[in-house]
Amino acid sequence: MAFFSLLRRVYLTIYNWVVFFGWAQVLFLALSTLKESGHQHVYRAVERPLQLAQTAAVLEIFHGLVGLVRSPITATLPQIGSRLYVTWGILWSFPEVQTHVLVSSLVISWSITEIIRYSFFGVKELLGFAPAWLLWLRYSTFMLLYPTGITSEVGLIYVALPYIKESAKYCLRMPNKWNFSFDYFYAALLVLAFYVPGSPHMYQYMLGQRKRALSKSKRE
Amino acid sequence: MKVTVVTRSGREVIKGGLELDESATVVDLQEAIHRRTKKYYPARQRLTLPLQPGSKERPVVLNYKKSVKDYCDGNSGNLTVVFKDLGPQVSYRILFFWEYLGPLLIYPIFYFFPVYQYFGYKGERLIHPVQTYALYYWCFHYFKRIMETFFVHRFSHATSPLSNVFRNCAYYWTFGSYIAYYVNHPLYTPVSDLQMKIGFGFGLVCQVANFYCHILLRNLRSPDGNGGYQIPHGFLFNIVTCANYTTEIYQWVGFNIATQTVAGYVFLVVAAAIMTNWALAKHRRLRKLFDGKEGRPKYPRRWVILPPFL
Repeated sequence: MAFFSLLRRVYLTIYNWVVFFGWAQVLFLALSTLKESGHQHVYRAVERPLQLAQTAAVLEIFHGLVGLVRSPITATLPQIGSRLYVTWGILWSFPEVQTHVLVSSLVISWSITEIIRYSFFGVKELLGFAPAWLLWLRYSTFMLLYPTGITSEVGLIYVALPYIKESAKYCLRMPNKWNFSFDYFYAALLVLAFYVPGSPHMYQYMLGQRKRALSKSKRE
Repeated sequence: MKVTVVTRSGREVIKGGLELDESATVVDLQEAIHRRTKKYYPARQRLTLPLQPGSKERPVVLNYKKSVKDYCDGNSGNLTVVFKDLGPQVSYRILFFWEYLGPLLIYPIFYFFPVYQYFGYKGERLIHPVQTYALYYWCFHYFKRIMETFFVHRFSHATSPLSNVFRNCAYYWTFGSYIAYYVNHPLYTPVSDLQMKIGFGFGLVCQVANFYCHILLRNLRSPDGNGGYQIPHGFLFNIVTCANYTTEIYQWVGFNIATQTVAGYVFLVVAAAIMTNWALAKHRRLRKLFDGKEGRPKYPRRWVILPPFL
């Protein structure tokens, strides 16, 4: 039994630091490309590490389901869902938006958040605890980065709308024997609608988490 | 006797408490609270006995039929009750009426009116027989539900929170529109005649069986609104606890076999999941209540909701 507990810790330590490294790469490439070439080239530079680091997060759903970590999947699922949607469903699928300036604000917001989050978990799994300053960063930076990140996500989806409509990509039309149709454009509008209640909900959730985490550390 | 009414955090809801007759019932207590607090009508009040701090048990809810004295343990003529506001309430009859009215009215709109031109489909619409039968089947189903709501069902709780009106109506009305859109679509592809007949035939049999299940459930409860629990028996209840849900699910299976839309099947899966959740809770509750001890009957081995799966 103790063997499995150790195995779990080793696995999670490796997982968190590997993904941390991926996001660190994204941030580094984003900033250096911004400095040298300009915002239009940021996507090209970060595409691979961004896709790898973001898609790896799917494992976290699995971690939550089998009880490897404590996070409830009701909180992680919408977060991962929106990230994967923007990464693959918008940016990768519609190259016309890849040169937009919002891509820069997006990847910078995401990468800073994730660097802090993964190093926090990485240190915790490795050492058994996390230093107070890292705890503070994990539960405070979201107050700025959630609004910037969400604005970038919503903005990019909105910018992509005309291209989605025109290309009719990922659309299934009738007639067919299952009497089913799917319109990616209307689905995108629905996603935008979900951001309206979804964003304050996630923000409130993090505020609650912050209160619990920071008061708990004060009492210890 | 004196009754002190406090919130779960210990604050006094009624300053100085209430003076009640020795023979007062819980109903009298609720009405007295309502008179003093104006906005907390009885259906909104949840009254429980105080729990020992740290107790893991569920608090005892005051039964509106009993005397208040029944809850005063020992000899002191005083009682403390814990009050919780359940929020604005709406009767189950009204809740069900509004949630079922949506599908009953919205579906025919897609059948009778030229709505598809607003989705970009101009021109004539050819209506297949199956689409007409589906309209009758669907409307009959929701009409039956409304009739049962007013004339058949006996509810264990009189009311439900008001917020459920919005939640439930959103569920029924959205799915109703979603399915109606596809079944009545100008580019709808019907299944074979035989498949349609099998689907609707099977579905109708299940609807009749479902109605009979509701009659049986009604007769389990006495008319004075006792709302207690008995072991369901008779007809399909002898082999499955929630035969009413079983027949309802199979009835939708029939509809979907006949109409074959992804939208219909999605609705079937979601509805079945919701009903399965309810069935598991009911089955568990009945097994706990009828444990075979102290002269109580033991709950027989039965399927929960969907033989042969669960």
